[in-house]
Amino acid sequence: MTNFIDFLLGGFSSGAVIALMALALVMVWRSTRMVNFAQVGQAMFTTYIALTVQQSTGNWLLALAVAMVAGLILGIVVFFLVIRPVKNSDTTGAIIATFGVLIALQAGAGMIWGGDPEGFIPPVSNAGLEFAGRIWPVSLYDILVWIVTAALVIGLTLLFTKTSLGLSMRASAFNPEVARLSGVRVNRMLITGWAIAGATGAVGGVLIAPVSTISPNSFDILLVFAFTAAVIGGLDSLIGAVTFGIGTGLVISLVSGYTDASNAPVVALALLALNLLLKPDGVFSHHGSRSV
Amino acid sequence: MSLLTDVKNMSNAQKLRTFPGNRIVWHAVIVGVVWLLLLLLNNNIDPLYSSYLALVAMYATAMFGMTILVGLSGQVSLGNGALMAVGGYVFALTSMNWQTVPIFGWEWNAVWSMVFAGLGGILIGGIVGGLAARLKGPYLAGLTLGLAVGVPAITNRFPELLGGENGLMLTVPYPAGGYAASEIAAGTESGAETSDPNSDAGSDTGAAAGEDQYAELDLSEFDQGVDASTDPNATLASEDLLTEGDLLTLDDFSNGGDLGLESADPVVEPSVDPSVDAGVDTGVDPSGITDSFDGGFIIEQWQASMAIAVACLVAFAALNLIRGRQGRVWKAVRDDPIAAAVVGISPSGSKVSAFVVSSLFAALAGAVFAQILSFVGPGAFGLGLSLSLLVGIVLGGRSSLLGAILGALIIVWLPELVNGLSGERGWPDQITNNAPNLLYGLLVVAVVLAAPGGITGTVRSWIDRARGKSRSPLS
Amino acid sequence: MLLIENLSVSYGAVQALKDVSLEVPHGHVTAVIGANGAGKSTLMRTLAGLTKPQSGQVTFNGEVISGRKPEDIVRMGIALVPEGRSTIPELTVEDNLKLGGMWRSHAQRNASLSRAYSLFPVLGERKSMRADTLSGGERQQLAIGRALMTGPQVLLLDEPSLGLAPLIVTQILELVARMAWDSGLAVLLVEQNATVALRIARTGVVLNLGEVVKSGPAAEIASDEELRHAYLGY
Repeated sequence: MTNFIDFLLGGFSSGAVIALMALALVMVWRSTRMVNFAQVGQAMFTTYIALTVQQSTGNWLLALAVAMVAGLILGIVVFFLVIRPVKNSDTTGAIIATFGVLIALQAGAGMIWGGDPEGFIPPVSNAGLEFAGRIWPVSLYDILVWIVTAALVIGLTLLFTKTSLGLSMRASAFNPEVARLSGVRVNRMLITGWAIAGATGAVGGVLIAPVSTISPNSFDILLVFAFTAAVIGGLDSLIGAVTFGIGTGLVISLVSGYTDASNAPVVALALLALNLLLKPDGVFSHHGSRSV
Repeated sequence: MSLLTDVKNMSNAQKLRTFPGNRIVWHAVIVGVVWLLLLLLNNNIDPLYSSYLALVAMYATAMFGMTILVGLSGQVSLGNGALMAVGGYVFALTSMNWQTVPIFGWEWNAVWSMVFAGLGGILIGGIVGGLAARLKGPYLAGLTLGLAVGVPAITNRFPELLGGENGLMLTVPYPAGGYAASEIAAGTESGAETSDPNSDAGSDTGAAAGEDQYAELDLSEFDQGVDASTDPNATLASEDLLTEGDLLTLDDFSNGGDLGLESADPVVEPSVDPSVDAGVDTGVDPSGITDSFDGGFIIEQWQASMAIAVACLVAFAALNLIRGRQGRVWKAVRDDPIAAAVVGISPSGSKVSAFVVSSLFAALAGAVFAQILSFVGPGAFGLGLSLSLLVGIVLGGRSSLLGAILGALIIVWLPELVNGLSGERGWPDQITNNAPNLLYGLLVVAVVLAAPGGITGTVRSWIDRARGKSRSPLS
Repeated sequence: MLLIENLSVSYGAVQALKDVSLEVPHGHVTAVIGANGAGKSTLMRTLAGLTKPQSGQVTFNGEVISGRKPEDIVRMGIALVPEGRSTIPELTVEDNLKLGGMWRSHAQRNASLSRAYSLFPVLGERKSMRADTLSGGERQQLAIGRALMTGPQVLLLDEPSLGLAPLIVTQILELVARMAWDSGLAVLLVEQNATVALRIARTGVVLNLGEVVKSGPAAEIASDEELRHAYLGY
């Protein structure tokens, strides 16, 4: 039982990061009806930028801020260079293009920073906290991860539900034509969606880097987890992304704890396949089933 | 070369329209001619180029499946590398463990292992395809991405059976030469058993003992070579392995069974250390063997002719499927599933069949890959492999077999080109290692944006424009 | 005043509108009637900026609007209620309304919102419910309410009667006519149901295969037997 609680607690941090990545995927999906498979590539790239900033200044907050801005910009750049021109062509092409971006970003990062995994020094201790006579699998850093994630999720929720910008973005996602006829500049909303997604992913990358290491390919597996969470959550739902992001983190932590970490991708694959089989639209989706 | 012949077969395609009944015969003729020409080429080039040829044929085999799945059926799959892993592992396991079991009176051999690899591909492809048929674009891409990441991880689940991270080393059942090598490996114990000079080339695998030894070797030394192929430069790594393998001049396999095996005994060192020299081939020290045989069995040439044989058979099947009724069904469902359903085509059935066919091709390619590497491991079949299949098919041309061949050429050739340039200009490794992928990524984006038909689609639309016809680049 | 001059639109080889000219004056309803495929919806979509004209131009108070983006046209005061109760089902009733005129000042938007609720009291009762819980007639009211939220001077109504019970159609259209009269709104109404449309309109325009075959006082068109038989099919 103590094991169970330990594994569960240990899963919250990775769950938080998966939730952020899933959120990024969902925001892109909502704005352009597209899954950005380059999302973790963008996050990897901005995390390297953050690493560079941290190594030269030693300031973690600055590194985080720079990563967010870089994520914002990278999101806009990818949108303008790739997504906007491809949008009207085939969906197959759009999917392939995002993988092209992923491959290019990974190779680019390899060229600039090399392929060897690098460590990212956490701003606060990464050691388990001692409390009530035992060491718990929760560190100060984990708590920081929770706080940053919670702040970001709350901020995004307020943005989407309480502001005109949020309403415009939601309307543009659900029905671009009606939004345009209401006077919403839909294109700007799409760009905003990509930019916010880029920044959200960047935060996720910076948060996970001290726990794992960073290398051009190290976030590949995160893409699978985040996609799983986003799809189970319905791809359209921010709440779904967060809920199932954390849920995926917990499941993976339990699986890794009780069996072996190498089983995690297989479990994610099984979850994804099961969900797609039973409820192809995800648990939180508003829409009816897709037709052929 | 293959480009030329395929251009020829494009003009044949025009004739076919008037003689649909002869289509299969024509396809057989076309593929047969290409096959012969490729074999001729293979026998007259440097073994180094033969090893490239083997890789191109292997990639082309897998990419023919991508043509059908991505191009014709419109399903983006990142899982075909994983399906290749299925073929590779089935091949490895069957050729290592079951070779002494005769089936229907046949002794076990590579062909049987290939058949089982194909069956494994069909089985897994059917399961994945059944799931995939319910899914649209990004969902399918995500699921198959999970497959690409998840399937190699399964090997860690069963380290005893699948070798875990280290993978499995297999003794490639080279025809004739293979059993000579096994005999060498097994030292003197099994020598008597295998030295039956009347056995047919390739079907005799009596050297079970020797091969089992390899199967149980711990290949920690192999790690490095494998990790190199984890990164998307899989081609580079595998070529390195190949070229390190040297020439294994045992016997020309076409000479069949009349080997002077007894003459091999004195010159062979009885204990062979397979971890030497990256462990490729059979670990036989080739020194001293060469002059014992007339002719000469060049392993790269054998690999290439084996890969070419599989690629040509698969191309023949693909050609008949694509140009026949099934090809039209796939396209119809891709372009408008509802309209297809209205005229009585089952959209999900069509999608599943595309998946099964492409999975079969991928598994066969995986089995070929296993024989080329003499090895299967999670690193060799990682996400990088799946991505390079997608890159190749997009660059070459999504909807044509010629596009797949061009894609395979690009995938094999571009890293070599970069390597060559790097050698001349003295680029640092960091640049050289990543340049091919950077190019792939940028090229894929550029092609999708500017020329969605890839090379073949674009050339074809130029030709059509010159003739005053218009056609979608993806048709 | 919305002025349409020699407007032509084509979809590839299909000529959807050919040399259409008409005026939409303030304070009145102008009804465009015609059978299916006459080009009515194309006309509306072109006016709103969703379709680009091939030739001809549309001016509003002297300013050319043809060729502009829909979001700019609506900001100039021309609001379209597209065919088929164009609400966003995932949003609440109030969010659907608020979506219209997001660029306007807070005070203007609040005034428009309370006006929409007074025009369509049922929307006020259900403001926090999702739009997909509304009935067809209520959703049409919501769609018109959203258009009114943009503070339009010209209201373009595309087939508001589609799929609604005759009684509700009459109610909605009478409300629209009263609004035009009260606040000087210019209304362009496109309808297949010619009887109802011509009853509330001052001017009628008959469109057939993309061309204006007849325009004139609504009463005159309504009583023209020959016209009815030839183009309206009743």
